[in-house]
Amino acid sequence: MSSLSLRQKSTPLMFLLPSLVIMAFILLVPIIMGLRLSFFEWLMRDISKEPTFVGLRNYIELFKSDNFRTSVLVTIRFVLSVVVIEIVAGLILALLLESGLKGMRFFRTLFVLPIMVAPVVVGVMWRFMYNPSYGKINYLLTQLGFERVGWLSNPDIALTSVIIADVWQWTPFVFLLALAALQGIPKDLSDAAVVDGANYMQKLLRIKLPYIASILGVTAILRLIDAFRSLVVIFNLTYGGPGVSTEVMSLHLYKSAFVSQRLGLASAIAVLLLLLIVILSLGLIVSNLKNKEN
Amino acid sequence: MKKIGLIAVMIAILVSTAVFAGGQQEAEQAPAAAESTDGFDWRQFEGQTIVACWPNHGHYNATMESGVIEEFEELTGIDVEIDLLQYIKMHDKQVLEMSKASGDYDMVSMVVMWKAEYAMGGMIEPLQPFFDNPNLAVPEYDFDDLVPGYVEVTGIAGGENIYMDGPGAKLYGLPFGSETSFLVYRQDLFDEYDIDVPETYDDLIEVSKFVHENIDGVGGLTMRGASGHHATHGYLLHASPYGARILEKGTWEPAFTEPESIKTIEFMKKMVEYGPPGMTGYTQDEEWQAFLQGDAAMYLDASVFTGAVNDPSKSKVVGKVGYALHPTAKTAGSETGGFGLAIPKNATNPEASFLFMQYLTMKETERKIIDNGGAPFRMSSVNDPALQEEYPEFEVLAEQLKYANPDWRPIIPEWGEINSTIGININQALTGEKTPEEAMEDAVDPIRDILIRAGYIDE
Repeated sequence: MSSLSLRQKSTPLMFLLPSLVIMAFILLVPIIMGLRLSFFEWLMRDISKEPTFVGLRNYIELFKSDNFRTSVLVTIRFVLSVVVIEIVAGLILALLLESGLKGMRFFRTLFVLPIMVAPVVVGVMWRFMYNPSYGKINYLLTQLGFERVGWLSNPDIALTSVIIADVWQWTPFVFLLALAALQGIPKDLSDAAVVDGANYMQKLLRIKLPYIASILGVTAILRLIDAFRSLVVIFNLTYGGPGVSTEVMSLHLYKSAFVSQRLGLASAIAVLLLLLIVILSLGLIVSNLKNKEN
Repeated sequence: MKKIGLIAVMIAILVSTAVFAGGQQEAEQAPAAAESTDGFDWRQFEGQTIVACWPNHGHYNATMESGVIEEFEELTGIDVEIDLLQYIKMHDKQVLEMSKASGDYDMVSMVVMWKAEYAMGGMIEPLQPFFDNPNLAVPEYDFDDLVPGYVEVTGIAGGENIYMDGPGAKLYGLPFGSETSFLVYRQDLFDEYDIDVPETYDDLIEVSKFVHENIDGVGGLTMRGASGHHATHGYLLHASPYGARILEKGTWEPAFTEPESIKTIEFMKKMVEYGPPGMTGYTQDEEWQAFLQGDAAMYLDASVFTGAVNDPSKSKVVGKVGYALHPTAKTAGSETGGFGLAIPKNATNPEASFLFMQYLTMKETERKIIDNGGAPFRMSSVNDPALQEEYPEFEVLAEQLKYANPDWRPIIPEWGEINSTIGININQALTGEKTPEEAMEDAVDPIRDILIRAGYIDE
């Protein structure tokens, strides 16, 4: 009897096993290898030689490096800006289009287009638009009588330019999820609110937002993780410049691995980046769970 | 409604693929001109296949369009396959291939910056043994006719000076797609405003200022200034005439805080002020576009630019330009850079590859490549009066090559990291985030760390 129950218990596990093994291989192994490599010096040009163990040297070097510190700050500024702006803008768009506006399907399709553009193309496209001489944006500004702006050449503005491009591409993603969530609100809830004489703001704050909060939370986590890893658009737009004003951690990592050719150092950055993402996402997940319990 | 949405999406996708596709090139099938040389056995490796890793670059595209590859195949019976890559992507792929026991490549085109790394890492073959082998060396090759500065910068490495000729150095590569720098200016504007062509850096500052103040919508000199590699490149172009160096000769200590170096950056800051807008974000592409679109009166950088200047599909200034020597400051000195051809240690068919290498760099082949927009690399071509007639820049090039400086940047294997580090600081000086002195001072410690780690200097 007990052996049967053990078998009963283990059967589902056995079914899971193949996928667990595969997951372990493709997820855990690279992470562990990366962690291990972060304690080594391994130059790309010496890739056929064995890595040299250097202990914590890579980490110490990173904590002493001005460029790395700047890249952490830039990353945090970039990620927080894009996540907040995209959530707010996406939500507003969803609220506008939720109530059966005329031609809503058309707008919905239109708004979703940026997600479908490959990031490389987004980078190149915005680079053209920001071009100081023949870019469309400066052309419009001069036509309207304003000064030309050094969108990508002024260290005080470049990060904003990068944020604009990211917001342009990813707000629709938030918009889509928010719209789906809003449309999932049971009709009787809002009907009841109308009967009780609730106005738009009351309906929004008391019913809609609490109802979709958990989905918005998940969206924020997804965007957060994505934003931390975003590389391609910045790579093509500014390559981290001017100075290091737009050099996010992922780009710093790229440069360490493929320009400086130091794979160990790059792994150390990857480990720190992973830690940062895990801490921030855990925070969001925990607060999300708490919301749900309430 | 749903259908319309779907159709809109599909149209958008179709349009975007149509816009971003293209750039494919078809190699022309040229009629084979069987050139055989007396006594030399071109067909000794008949039936072998060689794979060459080449960059998508004007000179290499010209080579493929000229039909010389097909002619080589016809002549030798060797099959040539070209793996054409974006040049930035070549390095990682080549290193990976050359680290294997047996790699896919029989020939690599390397950017000069990778030369010392490849050579000292034992990834590429020294070429002298090939040239010394009478069965492999084409008798009428005329090695000494290759531009000496190009040979040194693209091919010679190892030994005491690492990236330069010196005790223990060997020949590892041949120049192919190499370049120097000279001044390209708008002849029409210079005539109209009666401007003298600048001969010195002081003239250059004066002319840039004049253009900036007097010609509406046109800036002085176009220059690369984007953070990292591009800013460093811009800096080095002017550092050489100003007499500034990145590393001290012999001691490998950082030398970029010297007054000559600060002077170079101050010059660059003036160019940013008088030049087309936004130069602190300029990569090579923006630098070129500014001149090609008529937004800048002068260009002072790689000579390979002339191909684009004279191409009506890319340039608005065709027929409006003049060429002059790279201006002088403390000394005369132009850059040397570009690509060289090398044979990996783990090549399957190194001898066949060596035949191909010689064929590509022979006089007759060079002529055909030049006719298709490639860059010359033999002294006899730039000095040829007939070619000078056809390509007015050759006359300047012939003179400029006398001052081409193979030691204008220290391309040791660690150069990539140094290049990037100092380039960030130069850019910060150009944008005004730091003063030139601060910027250069800030780069000293990180660059010393790199040099200490690599064993060039002691702590």
